[in-house]
Amino acid sequence: MPRPEEDEFRSRGRAVAVLAVLAALYAALGIRVVYLQVIRGPDFVHRAERQHEKAIAVEAERGTIYDRHGNILAADLTVPSLYAVPPLIDNPGSIARELAVVLGVDPLPLAKRLAEPREFIWLSRRVDPAVAKAVEDLGAEGVRLMPERRRIYPKKALLGQALGFAGTDHEGLEGIERAYDRTLRGEKGWLVYERDGMGQRLFPKDLRYVAPSRGGDLVLTIDEVVQYISERELDAVIAESGADGGTIVVMDPADGGVLAMAVRQAFNPNDVDARHPASWRNRAITDLFEPGSTFKVVTAAAALEAGVVRADDLIDCERGAWPIAGGVLHDHEPLGRISFSDVIAKSSNIGTAKVALRLGQERLARSIAAFGFGRKTGIDVGGEVSGRVRPTARWSGRSLATMAIGQEVGVTAIQLVTAYAAVANGGRLVKPHLVVEVRDERGRAQPIAQEEHDETHPRVMSEQTAEVLTTILERVVSPRGTGALAAVEGVSVAGKTGTAQQIDPATGRYTANRVVSSFVGFAPSRRPAVVVLVVIDNPEGHGWGGSVAAPVFRRVVEATLRHLETPSAPSDPVRPPATAVTLLVPR
Amino acid sequence: MVRLDKNRLSSLDWKGLVAIGLIVTAGVATIYSATTHQTGSPSTLYLKQLAWVGMGMAVFVAAALVDYHTLTRYAYAGYAAVIVLLVGVLLVGRVGMGARRWISLGVFDVQPSELAKLVLILVLARYCSERHVRGGLGPTQLLAPLTLALIPIGLILKQPDLGTGLTLLAITLSMILLVGIRYQSIVFLALSALMLFPFFWTLFWNSLKGYQRNRLLTFVNPSSDPLGMGYHVIQSKIAIGSGGFWGKGFLGSTQSQLKFLPEGHTDFIFAVFAEEWGFVGVLGLLALYGFVLFWIMETAYKAKDREGAFLVIGVAGMVVFSLVVNIGMTLGMMPVVGVPLLLMSYGGSSMLTVFAALGLVMNVRLRRFMLFY
Repeated sequence: MPRPEEDEFRSRGRAVAVLAVLAALYAALGIRVVYLQVIRGPDFVHRAERQHEKAIAVEAERGTIYDRHGNILAADLTVPSLYAVPPLIDNPGSIARELAVVLGVDPLPLAKRLAEPREFIWLSRRVDPAVAKAVEDLGAEGVRLMPERRRIYPKKALLGQALGFAGTDHEGLEGIERAYDRTLRGEKGWLVYERDGMGQRLFPKDLRYVAPSRGGDLVLTIDEVVQYISERELDAVIAESGADGGTIVVMDPADGGVLAMAVRQAFNPNDVDARHPASWRNRAITDLFEPGSTFKVVTAAAALEAGVVRADDLIDCERGAWPIAGGVLHDHEPLGRISFSDVIAKSSNIGTAKVALRLGQERLARSIAAFGFGRKTGIDVGGEVSGRVRPTARWSGRSLATMAIGQEVGVTAIQLVTAYAAVANGGRLVKPHLVVEVRDERGRAQPIAQEEHDETHPRVMSEQTAEVLTTILERVVSPRGTGALAAVEGVSVAGKTGTAQQIDPATGRYTANRVVSSFVGFAPSRRPAVVVLVVIDNPEGHGWGGSVAAPVFRRVVEATLRHLETPSAPSDPVRPPATAVTLLVPR
Repeated sequence: MVRLDKNRLSSLDWKGLVAIGLIVTAGVATIYSATTHQTGSPSTLYLKQLAWVGMGMAVFVAAALVDYHTLTRYAYAGYAAVIVLLVGVLLVGRVGMGARRWISLGVFDVQPSELAKLVLILVLARYCSERHVRGGLGPTQLLAPLTLALIPIGLILKQPDLGTGLTLLAITLSMILLVGIRYQSIVFLALSALMLFPFFWTLFWNSLKGYQRNRLLTFVNPSSDPLGMGYHVIQSKIAIGSGGFWGKGFLGSTQSQLKFLPEGHTDFIFAVFAEEWGFVGVLGLLALYGFVLFWIMETAYKAKDREGAFLVIGVAGMVVFSLVVNIGMTLGMMPVVGVPLLLMSYGGSSMLTVFAALGLVMNVRLRRFMLFY
């Protein structure tokens, strides 16, 4: 037998090769272990936890929505629900018997459920507070109450469309509830238990409780009383005129705060019917209408600002018919040579069109844009549309004349009321808004998004122009103006009537016999407290803005001014009382 | 037979045995942890494993004491017996877990595929040492040892038991490569493997069971099927990764305790160990295995004759294969093949086999200074 030393097997090279192969294999495993445990370790720790921790969400109390005087418009009702932690229950039989008496159920199946090898079972959800109290008094280990919430709107349909609503999972789905959902919703709490790969079997025995944190509160610019006045008057005029619906917006011209935003048909957010989504649409910001004569103030502002006309310049109104661009422009009454003030006051289409021709399409288009038409106002609720204003490149031969009198454009109520607020406040375009203050869960006021405060309201006309326009709009409401019915006794009022055919949203064309009747104005005209827009959708009969909408305006302004003059209620919102039942939750 | 004398006992070094003992201890502890759920009744699997360890130690002593030359003398007879048993398994074997792996020998059941590992090592060691050729084996000289290996491999794959079949292949290749092989042979092997690959691949693929194919497919892309076959690997990676640097401590392996990681006491025992003892523990464990491997290789190097050296190399091939394939599998680097982690995974057959194999190593080691026998 050869001596072992002679084997090539024992050669140095082979030993080195074997060691090298082993070292390489080891290195591969080692690198992989470093990667998994050291580099990605924290990652996997997280994945592991997520895998075996199961959690039951505990809904946070959603913030309350107050009006500007602290009246509650939306709030959460806390309803106790009953659950059990079977591993903590030593004697399911006796506890089931006691519980069965309180809950009025059969004890046997209950005992069976309490003995189930599960960490969490619902016993009864949304129980009566008295029942909850009785269960609490039993003091049974492992039987507990969890707060569950229900959103309620105590004022029912009041401000319904603007408030919107929160869905069954307590998430804001429409309106302010949706726009401010992040503020209102708070942070969910959790009941955490561990779960194994089979989806059962738990440890440690007790659940871990992470308390929810309450959402923030909102204080609105809305005045509950003004809102009520608006809705009352809207209901009255709809009943009286047989209109399809209507909108009233009341705004503080100084800062754009909306005091009332009434939309009819009514919508009660306590009772959402998913089959009729149109009912909760906030038409004041989502629906377009052709403004008609109320739009003439834009033309007038631009013309006065450009100096192409002065208030007392005489303009020939052609006795009610004026051929233009292949068609004929009509006035509702034949007028001769009248001052520009009277052109607006008597709402002459021909006179306004003639002034627009002096202005030219560029300057008119600039003015329309400056007043905020054709783009969103940025109001702080969702769903706003930008309106319809065609760019000058797509204007037809008649467009200059027809747009000057408020045709061929589509505007929202909030846009129109904001434009009139600019006249009322001396020429500045304010940003409409509904929320004045956000309060955190401890009731401290939080500034709303910074830019809204820093924003300088852009000037759309000089103060002199605003003043001249105000004078002209006052004449509208004078006994010989078209808006005479809007006059309020003892208060000077400035405003404008409007009547327009409706655009069929489906076809984009004028409908034959549907009109929108409107009045927009402000009072007191020299020191305006409110701008009010009344839009009545398709009233029966002739439907002129002066006869249908103007009286509504008067009634709203009268009642509103009277309310605003009375000393207001304490302006600090008060928290609703805490729920009567203390909730048994694990610490 | 053999008489122990002082000389031989003094050449028994304890370091290797201590390393083996530590690994086995870690294995039993991990089995205890992986099977003791908080549900109440503690599992007794770790006790069973301890019993297997005790029997393994007896087998170890036996394998170490009987002179390995005596063992190789009966290698062919043993080989023939094992082949008979393997055929028998296919005919009358007991079916467990979808495969026919056990055969009843009256009192107890045996797994002939485990015996095949030992017998193959003995037979190849004897064959290669007898037919030793200076300069290494040529292509034609390879035919006989390859045939010796392929017969049991074929029978085992038929059971089917892919893991054991591949283990035998690894043993064979490591022995053939290390005992000496000509470059022509390597070229020949490579070329024939290349030419026959499509043929064998089809055979191989067709012989695989559905779950085995899935294992290979999910190895290529584990997340393609997170709740199916890839689940094992993903859970294993989560368990190992979540162990982090320091580990979650003894009995702290939530992934296996909460039953997310299946087979925590058998094929995936490394994942449980890594979760509990962390990166630090893994380094320690790999070092222990490394030391045992080194101990084996040193024995091969110092063996008194070729036969002894070849035996030890066969054992080394078996251990390295188990280590790399099993740990590689739990780390997501290898397909899921049912290869237990030697010395740690729960299971009597593999415990007895590895102790017998290590006994052979000790056998060669004890006799390295003897000039006569």
